[in-house]
Amino acid sequence: MAILKFKINRYNPDDERRGHYEQEYELDVPKGYTVLDCLNDIKWKIDGTLSYRRSCRSGICGSCAMTINGVNNLACETQALSLKSDTVTIEPLRGYPVVKDLVVSLDPIVRGLMAVRPYMINKTPPPTDQERFQSPEERDKLEGLYECILCGSCTSACPSFWADKEYLGPHAFLKAYRFVADSRDEDARAHLEALDDKHGLWRCHTIFNCVEACPKGLNPTKAIAELKKEIVKGKVG
Amino acid sequence: MRVIKRYRIHAGTFAWILHRLSGLGLIFYLLLHIWVISHLSGGEKSFDAVMHAFGSPLFKFLEVGLVGVILYHLFNGLRITLIDMGLLIEKQKMLYIVAVIVWLISWASVGMVMISRMVLPALG
Repeated sequence: MAILKFKINRYNPDDERRGHYEQEYELDVPKGYTVLDCLNDIKWKIDGTLSYRRSCRSGICGSCAMTINGVNNLACETQALSLKSDTVTIEPLRGYPVVKDLVVSLDPIVRGLMAVRPYMINKTPPPTDQERFQSPEERDKLEGLYECILCGSCTSACPSFWADKEYLGPHAFLKAYRFVADSRDEDARAHLEALDDKHGLWRCHTIFNCVEACPKGLNPTKAIAELKKEIVKGKVG
Repeated sequence: MRVIKRYRIHAGTFAWILHRLSGLGLIFYLLLHIWVISHLSGGEKSFDAVMHAFGSPLFKFLEVGLVGVILYHLFNGLRITLIDMGLLIEKQKMLYIVAVIVWLISWASVGMVMISRMVLPALG
């Protein structure tokens, strides 16, 4: 047990004049409490007006991504006591429009995602009526790509996105490469089309903030490097 | 006003900020360089006059700094090139540490030669 001070960035759209402000809460935090548990305690016992997204509380849905002590993470996967700080600062994911308190609009994420056509494109009928076959080696190529839960942590941590709100974002590149690398996908060009653009791949400056932020430990920068090679190969070859 | 705190800086962020600053420094140097060289069109005298101004000890020391800026941009640039080719991406932090060590060693050795050439004649 330890008493932690929570500094939470708040915003109420019905009170535009007040704008964004910081509110402090003190909470007795038992061992094993995640930041999401702490937010629940604050909302249920101290201040019912606090808003944040939550759903699965086990790192699968990606709803509770927020900036905790200056770095993006899932609240449900961050142990409050392991932050090793008496003060926990919580802010909404930066770069996205804030709807209320810690709730942000994920429209920019969806825009970037849809641009890369995040679905398998295959015009030949499957060999059986049940599945398209893939060898274990081909399946291994998707490791570290398919696990993305679209929480938005990476794109919100990316300085290129802060500077250019039309930048597709590392999440979109990771998803694009997930299909380009898939042996069952027949039209890599369709996924690559939107990437070869001034708001696309070439705006990545290999800052690695996305890699540091990803709660699932994925590596969008690696996907970006592979996609750059694919595009260059397509142009040269 | 939105109360936004500083986003945490990692090795990659730090490398990028320094790379940008060194790049801006190089652009500034290049413009200065072109301006100095352009005096050649004004004949021997005007070129000698401007070169004399840049021959002062202050500019000699600034030159040592310029070498540092160039070498940082060079070695971090090589790191970024490797990353863009898809090599050693998982080891990017280690790669940055190596780039910084090589940068500092090369800067120290070139700087020492430059400074000794400046200082030794003065001492006789």
